[in-house]
Amino acid sequence: MTTYIVRRLFATLPVMAVVALFVFFLLRFAPGDPAAIIAGEDATAEAIAAVRAKLGLDRPMVEQFVVWTMQLVRGDMGVSIFSNLPVTRLISQRLEPTVALTLSTLFVAVAMAIPIGVLAAWKARKLVDRLVMGFAVLGFAMPVFVLAYILIYFFAVQWQLLPVQGYQPIKEGLWPFVQSLILPSLALGITYMALIARTTRASMLEVLAQDYMRTANSKGLATNRVLLLHALKNAAVPIVTVIGIGIALLISGVVITETVFNIPGLGRLTVDAVLKRDYPVVQGLILVFAGAKVLVNLIIDISYAFLDPRIRY
Amino acid sequence: MSGNPNAILEVRDLHTQFSTLDGVVRAVDGVSFEVARGETLGIVGESGCGKSVTAMSILRLIPPETGRIASGSIKFEGEELTTLTEEAMKRLRGHRISMIFQEPMTSLNPVLTVGTQIAENVVRHLGVSWKAARERAFEMLDLVRIADARRRLDEYPHQLSGGMRQRVMIAMALSCDPQVLIADEPTTALDVTIQAQILDLMIELKEKTGTAIVLITHDLGVVAETTERVVVMYAGRKVEQATVDALFEEPLHPYTRGLMRAIPRLDVEADAAGTRPRLQEIPGLVPILTQPIMGCAFAPRCGFATDRCRGERPPLVDAGAGHLVACWEIERVRRAV
Repeated sequence: MTTYIVRRLFATLPVMAVVALFVFFLLRFAPGDPAAIIAGEDATAEAIAAVRAKLGLDRPMVEQFVVWTMQLVRGDMGVSIFSNLPVTRLISQRLEPTVALTLSTLFVAVAMAIPIGVLAAWKARKLVDRLVMGFAVLGFAMPVFVLAYILIYFFAVQWQLLPVQGYQPIKEGLWPFVQSLILPSLALGITYMALIARTTRASMLEVLAQDYMRTANSKGLATNRVLLLHALKNAAVPIVTVIGIGIALLISGVVITETVFNIPGLGRLTVDAVLKRDYPVVQGLILVFAGAKVLVNLIIDISYAFLDPRIRY
Repeated sequence: MSGNPNAILEVRDLHTQFSTLDGVVRAVDGVSFEVARGETLGIVGESGCGKSVTAMSILRLIPPETGRIASGSIKFEGEELTTLTEEAMKRLRGHRISMIFQEPMTSLNPVLTVGTQIAENVVRHLGVSWKAARERAFEMLDLVRIADARRRLDEYPHQLSGGMRQRVMIAMALSCDPQVLIADEPTTALDVTIQAQILDLMIELKEKTGTAIVLITHDLGVVAETTERVVVMYAGRKVEQATVDALFEEPLHPYTRGLMRAIPRLDVEADAAGTRPRLQEIPGLVPILTQPIMGCAFAPRCGFATDRCRGERPPLVDAGAGHLVACWEIERVRRAV
């Protein structure tokens, strides 16, 4: 197992290298010029060229890429073109809200979706099942920003139960922190929840038809044990897989959610950096997101071995 | 016959039906039999004759979405099971009536250890601690002669062979000392040497524990070796019932005779060229059970069939010494040998 983990960690290096290559060149081939933005609307061509030279953007692209990767190897992501702050510091400052939002969404979605999916499979084709699946289709089809504004309208504006927007760091106290996360987590989590609930139902239905479930029933075990141990543990691998896939969904959703709820996290930083063509910041952020995704995949793969004894690494 | 004080399980006029897109399937169509304490009863018939559905009906494991016990009575120790609450049924299953299945490869849960799967049954029904239940699981594995039982407790089903898995199923089924064990084709998926071992084991354990066994099989050879009485089923109905000796001595229903002619025999002499007579299959197919069958269900495939057979359902009659048969033409069948 340890060898497997070490091998997998090494295998992430080429993945990250490819991500670095793509993000670097894609950004530079994309329209837009940070030098023109910095120099201002009325700047002359010479002024723009001067800014470009100062930022080193006039050098050949390959040279710029080599300089950047050499920095990366030393753990330095470069400096923001606009704020002159190190990219690592910009990212670490904005990390907490995003991690908090992602984890709370993950928790809320999984904690609600799995019981819902199990219930739907158990009561398959009955009313509960139809309601749950109807909700899942709706949840899957609803854009994050639409749901976000609906939630804000009712819970924050009409009933004034929760803040409209903004983020309270955890050091400001647990309750304000939790309060500021409830609506964003719900808005962000609904698609995710629908995805997990549907997968749970499908996977459970397949398992419930297996011979060993007949055995479990023939032993007169309590329904809870039959469903939550005998069936769910067998159904877990596809569910966990989809939870992992959904992390990518969450990362893209975070960008929108943070904008709607005015949360100063990595999502907002990404939007701002992309709009301003702040190359080093965008590059750094994409690497962080890609790294997170790769790490999640690793955790998911390792968890398989705990869920199914037939899987060995 | 009803109210036999020695009977532990009494099935009376059981009708189990399934709703399908093609109509109602009468999988079990008026079957009655009883099982005495400590007895081994065989239920024999082709695939689709309703043997397994009968077994599932006794434990009330027919999926309620598609099937139901339409009528009839199932009495266990005098208690009516068809009207029992689901909770009470659950306390019965795996405890006083337990079941083993045809597919040992898929009947155990692949993600739980063998020890857990046996012990959970004991914890559930005997209310002992997990520690004590695990000890019981160890005893049971030892009893079904699994070598190195202590270590096997922590193994998963995929680490065991088919024969061992069926031993585990037996250990699990007997872990709470049930009064009745229903074995649905327990050896069909195993190879012949393992089949014999498993059957011997079941009979040996039956003698040790006094558990009555209902052995469901399509294999008359298995029946001859292991059971005391036999019920022959065809198209959801009981067509013949006798002690094993009487049945093999003189099978009275043309269907039973057909089944017997389809068994390869070692006591039939080969001719000079070294060939033995061809085994005879029963012509035709099992009837479609969505249509009500007016006469004898076997009539379309039967060489003795008359118009009466096709039009009127033959009652079960006693042909002597408790040998029951449902056939209008017993005398002609008898003479035909």
